[in-house]
Amino acid sequence: MAAALDLHTSRARQARAGRAIGKTGAGLLTILAVLLVAGGIALIVLHHHYGISLLGLGLLVYMPAAWWQRQLKELPVTGSSFNDRLAVGVLTRLKPKTTYTPRTLWQALTADWQVIFLCNHLLIPGQLVAEVLGDDAAALPAALNAAEQLAADTSSQAIEPYHIAAGLLLSSPAIHELLSKAKLGDNDVRAVAGWLARGLAAMRRERPRFGGIARDWTSGFTPRLERFGHNLSQEIERHSLNFGSLAESQPVQAVTGAFRQGATALALIGPDGIGKTSAAYALAQNLLAEDRDPTLKHQQVIGLDASAIISVARHPGELEYIVSSLLNEAVHAGNVVLFIDDAHLFLSGGTGAFDASQLLLPALQSRAIRIVLALAPAEYQQLKSFNASLAGLITPIMLKEPDEATTLEILADNAAGLETHSHCLIAYEALKEAYRLSQRYDQDAANPGKAIRLLEQSLSHADNGLVNAASVQAAIEQATGVKASSAAPAEADQLLHLEDEIHQRMINQSRAVSVVSNALRRARAGVASPNRPIGSFLFLGPTGVGKTELAKSIAAVYFGDEARLIRLDMSEYQRPEDVARLLSSGQGETSSLILQVRQQPFSVVLLDEIEKAHPNILNLLLQLLDEGQLTDSQGRATSFKDAIVITTSNAGADTIRQKIEQGAQLEDFEQQFTDELINSGQFKPELLNRFDEIVLFRPLKPDELAQVVRLMLAEVNQNLAKQNIAVELTDAAINKIVEQGNDPRLGARPMRRAIQRLVEDTVAQKILAGAANPGDKITLDAPDLSS
Amino acid sequence: MLALTLLSWWYRPGWAKVGRDGGRQLQALAASFSVAMLLRTLFAPWRRIISYPGAGMGAHLRAAVDNAISRLVGFVVRIFVLLFAVVMLVVTAVLTGLELVAWPLLPPAAIILIIWGLV
Repeated sequence: MAAALDLHTSRARQARAGRAIGKTGAGLLTILAVLLVAGGIALIVLHHHYGISLLGLGLLVYMPAAWWQRQLKELPVTGSSFNDRLAVGVLTRLKPKTTYTPRTLWQALTADWQVIFLCNHLLIPGQLVAEVLGDDAAALPAALNAAEQLAADTSSQAIEPYHIAAGLLLSSPAIHELLSKAKLGDNDVRAVAGWLARGLAAMRRERPRFGGIARDWTSGFTPRLERFGHNLSQEIERHSLNFGSLAESQPVQAVTGAFRQGATALALIGPDGIGKTSAAYALAQNLLAEDRDPTLKHQQVIGLDASAIISVARHPGELEYIVSSLLNEAVHAGNVVLFIDDAHLFLSGGTGAFDASQLLLPALQSRAIRIVLALAPAEYQQLKSFNASLAGLITPIMLKEPDEATTLEILADNAAGLETHSHCLIAYEALKEAYRLSQRYDQDAANPGKAIRLLEQSLSHADNGLVNAASVQAAIEQATGVKASSAAPAEADQLLHLEDEIHQRMINQSRAVSVVSNALRRARAGVASPNRPIGSFLFLGPTGVGKTELAKSIAAVYFGDEARLIRLDMSEYQRPEDVARLLSSGQGETSSLILQVRQQPFSVVLLDEIEKAHPNILNLLLQLLDEGQLTDSQGRATSFKDAIVITTSNAGADTIRQKIEQGAQLEDFEQQFTDELINSGQFKPELLNRFDEIVLFRPLKPDELAQVVRLMLAEVNQNLAKQNIAVELTDAAINKIVEQGNDPRLGARPMRRAIQRLVEDTVAQKILAGAANPGDKITLDAPDLSS
Repeated sequence: MLALTLLSWWYRPGWAKVGRDGGRQLQALAASFSVAMLLRTLFAPWRRIISYPGAGMGAHLRAAVDNAISRLVGFVVRIFVLLFAVVMLVVTAVLTGLELVAWPLLPPAAIILIIWGLV
């Protein structure tokens, strides 16, 4: 049935009466009632007959005050119909004699803080919404139905102002268009409504009471635990913390259930950021409210910080004494569940760690203590391998990374606290961006922790107190160097003229430069697939024609630093066992591709002489190009989605040289050349097909080599600039260098040595002989060059 | 109209709410004083004393004696708290009962008293 507003109901009248009386009015009425009753009694005592009337009047005045206090203040929902469920916030803002349209209804509610919250977090101006919403009263029932549905979705009995406002947004096609322009959809409106609903529920929740005055009178004193630990249960009580949904989640229920079934030692297992500590808090909350198992009722969860304890002890003996004292206190207190964060520090004898397993083992075997350990999956595996008896006593509870919707809810709930502390407004788009970017660029941690961390970092990038998607992008750019934001006008201009930038560093190879530039523009504009490397290229051509130089240029121009080049000579990976070396994640393995990319994900990966690599490595390359990631020897994925992968090969170099010498253009024989490479068995078709582009490099002509000489001379002049000396070469000198430095088989590669021998040596002699002084410009002609 | 709304609330949900609020107050009082727990642990020691590892026989003996004394201390403290809780509960229950009786009489009483005083 279509919902319709009825503002003449008893509930609506009560809401308006409640607003008319208000908190101050109710207070004044109560005081007046007390004065009248007291005055009446006094007059009666003094035998004044009017005192009786005054007493009656006092009682009469008390009635509306009691009404407000016990009913009107909150006006609970009493019926199930739409109008019976309208919240006070709606009823007091609407006038009974007005006929509302979507626009006027929005305007009536727009001053309500809930509607302001909705608009602020969606970044949509309320005024603009009012302009877009129409005056068609026939469209109102759809909006009210949407509001009623949203109230059901957010498990709200009352239909609040934000439900009506969101209903208006969701039901209007014109608003839909407005939201689309702001990259928002219906689900985002519903998500922000859910965020508000959870916040309201938290605000209205009564402060829980966990046991009374005598609760802890029978438990033992725990002075050392108070010194070295922090009481999670106490924190929940003192600060009214609520881990509601987490407390109800499957893993925390599993922990509570395991304790009920008699388990004494549990391990929360999951990667960093997954919420092991939060799960411990949720467990603490469950135990405070426990009513099924009397032995668990009112148990206190006390967290031990392993690293803090280790840092306090001056020698191993003292550390052992502290740990055994803490265990002893926990056993005798009778109401303690120990939670050990970073438990691996207590269970291994490595650097900065202490092996407390010999102390824990008897305590766990005697079942005298309840304990919860927090471990990463690898740490738990390590415990199983090295201390099977201890691991056998521990019940593992695996924590799973939450999905996107749940992570966004957790992020929103955390954002509320961040907003209070930072006095910033965190837009919903910032939450989505924090999830997206942390998921993409933080491979080391899990959600929701990594997204929360990124959101916290974004606070320092707030613009006029607003944290939006750009703030999150700026935070990740600062932290990792990745280009996450849209290209700014200056950068867009640079991208549009990428070829010019690259040609300042290398001569010709225009086709190669052009295809690479196109790929980079596609990636930066967000057109390319985000699940593959930014670009993948196979550079083919003779030695010394600029393949490596182009890779370096890309690193310098696109990533801003030539050092962002990870270069591997694949001729060193010809044996099957070399695969392991490439994928090793062990410390100190400098040649590991995985480690280098993990340290520097935003880089050009240059794999030289790919045809010489073992076939197993070429199979790995297929996975890399397809999925944008490789998995290391420990099963951890490393993303190559922010890297540009360039492979080079000299295969068919002679063919290219011959064809070019015969006067052919690269474009004329590119396809035929690629087919020949496949037919000759040098490359598998499935590998060649996976590259974004196969780029042919042609040998350099003498006039291009002369330009290479000029580029190299510029480098020489750069070095001499410190001594304020400059060198210039005549055309004859350049021709002489080209003549001596050119080798058809090695391209421009010998040119560097020719410059050293002919130019740098000559200049060095002149400087040492005093023939070149600061401020001089040395001009060298062909005969001047020492040979 | 508003007066009728008030009266219809006064004699139905209002009266029931007085009873509910009174019951809630009694429950909250009983929970704050942890009456059930006080009764269950009446003879339990008043905070246990713990002897630490390696503290020796003397310390263990001392802890045992201290614990025995603490049972006596615990009993005295708990019995006094229980007595105070019972007094509070009785007072609250009586006040709630009086309010429940007086509540329906209040509107007619107010009118009657006003008229009576004027006559």
